[in-house]
Amino acid sequence: MKGGVPPFPSIAEAGRLIAARKLSPVELTRALLARIAAIDPRLNAFLLVTERQALAGARAAERAVAAGRKGPLLGIPLAYKDIYETAGVRTTAHSRILADNVPTRDAETVRRLHAAGAVMLGKLATHEFAIGGPAFDLPWPPARNPWDTRRFTGGSSSGSGAAVAAGLALGALGSDTGGSIRLPAAYCGIAGLKPTPGLVSRRGVIPLAPSLDTAGPMAWTAQDCAILLDVLAGHDPADPASVAVPAVSYAAGLDAPLKGLRVGLLRRFYEHDVPGSPEVLQMMARAAATLRGLGCRVEEAVLPPVQDYNAVGRIIISTEAYALHEAMLKTRLSEYSRVFRVRVLAGALIRAADYIAAQRQRTDLIAETARTFARFDVLIASPTAGSAPLLTEQRPDDGFARPLLTTVANVAAIPSLVVCGGFTATGLPLGLEIMGPAWGDATVLRVGHQFEQAAGLRGRRPEL
Amino acid sequence: MAALPASPVPTISPAEMQILISRSGLVLNPGQMADLVLAWRQVAGLIAAIPQGRPLVDDLAFGFRLVPPGSPAAAPGPAAKPAARPAAKPAAKPAAKAAAKPRTRARPTAATKPRPRTSSNAAPAPQTRATPKATPTPQAPARHRASRGR
Repeated sequence: MKGGVPPFPSIAEAGRLIAARKLSPVELTRALLARIAAIDPRLNAFLLVTERQALAGARAAERAVAAGRKGPLLGIPLAYKDIYETAGVRTTAHSRILADNVPTRDAETVRRLHAAGAVMLGKLATHEFAIGGPAFDLPWPPARNPWDTRRFTGGSSSGSGAAVAAGLALGALGSDTGGSIRLPAAYCGIAGLKPTPGLVSRRGVIPLAPSLDTAGPMAWTAQDCAILLDVLAGHDPADPASVAVPAVSYAAGLDAPLKGLRVGLLRRFYEHDVPGSPEVLQMMARAAATLRGLGCRVEEAVLPPVQDYNAVGRIIISTEAYALHEAMLKTRLSEYSRVFRVRVLAGALIRAADYIAAQRQRTDLIAETARTFARFDVLIASPTAGSAPLLTEQRPDDGFARPLLTTVANVAAIPSLVVCGGFTATGLPLGLEIMGPAWGDATVLRVGHQFEQAAGLRGRRPEL
Repeated sequence: MAALPASPVPTISPAEMQILISRSGLVLNPGQMADLVLAWRQVAGLIAAIPQGRPLVDDLAFGFRLVPPGSPAAAPGPAAKPAARPAAKPAAKPAAKAAAKPRTRARPTAATKPRPRTSSNAAPAPQTRATPKATPTPQAPARHRASRGR
């Protein structure tokens, strides 16, 4: 292998260099392990670094490259949110309850990545059982935002967002029930895709609310998310929600022109429903102009209020999460974090009739959202009202008190990608959310990729 | 059919809440109970925001949907779950029946996948194939719900 390790390579770039034998997977992995050792104590992105497995995987990839094997993920170092089961490697869900849990099998998604030659660097911080709020009363501290370590990463894929933004891993697995991939993507300035439900297997991913849970990729760019999705997507009979859809390459069509694409601007979402900061409004105006510059037809679109989606989403999450944890809550209540208890215990009081009403209302919201896609190919909005807040400003009941813009896509069962949309005057990233119709994952990735290329925001990294 | 009258969310006093919690088998200390009261106020507001007064016929909207036998989307029965999945190699004969259909549809690994399957300048359009815009009835969510029996 010739050449050194470039600083902050994307998955696409590292894959090309490895295939051309200009980059050694072992050297790349060693460089990342050294970076993790130097930087992660300030970020807490990793719950566990699997150095031995990483180097063994990298050596195997290097041998495969030498034998002539090719593949976009061959020798690419990744890390997984600690709700993904990993055979022989502790999987805690960032909870005391599973502190000693060592699965015997890999999650289907992990199996696919490893079969493609990816290298596992370790397991990443989450919020307890992916509930979406940072806690200080757990055995491991919450992850911190690499752009400003006093700030929140967003959650619950908090370690995934921090690790990718800080260049500790080239990509990561996250999960998204109400925004848990896309909020960290927005606050940490990376790309994160919540795929269409059923596209990516959830087998072996510790659930939060099975009606809404989705597994998906997080990486520095939309292109890297597409490369990961090419491996992750596919029918899995062991996940009852998995759907057999025709295989496509999500990475192959990223550069197809956007001319004539109909983009709906969900202005009311971030101007009225969850009012954004002035910088968010400016970022959205610039994003719309950038997409027009790419040939898109951008017009205002209207969906039901964010609050309607949120009420449905929160009731479903609380009820299902409570149901899943009830047995454990009865016997080990005090071992859960306060955040988890506040967000889940109320599920004990939600009546079956109210849960069913939420599910019925979800059906209507799915249909109404789908009708909007008769007029638009994608919808864009801001995923947050502003940049990352201070970690200490987070309240246990935030999940109820403040509606999340991202929950719309979970309730509507549509794919949604967040890419970096800009920066505040103080240098904090702002996200741009791109939603498509069910199974429109390739289109949202294509829009995200070309937006990133046109906006030119991917050259900036946090200073650590 | 006319809509049934909407029922307001009944308020629960802390004492009643204690009874309901006890019925669930939970034992909360005073601090945990205070947290629950705080959370419940928010949850009650969310419940109140969800329409409840719907025509009875709308129950069809929240129904179970079975995939026709032989459909490529048909999921195997409970007997076929994890044990039937091979770890890395193609399924052995006994498991082949359950796995055969989906596996023909399953994506190949990155190493073996012939790509790009679409030409580099052609836009992939899986959404138009899977969910025609003219008939935006989402198929996946329905299946998603149908399999939600946990």
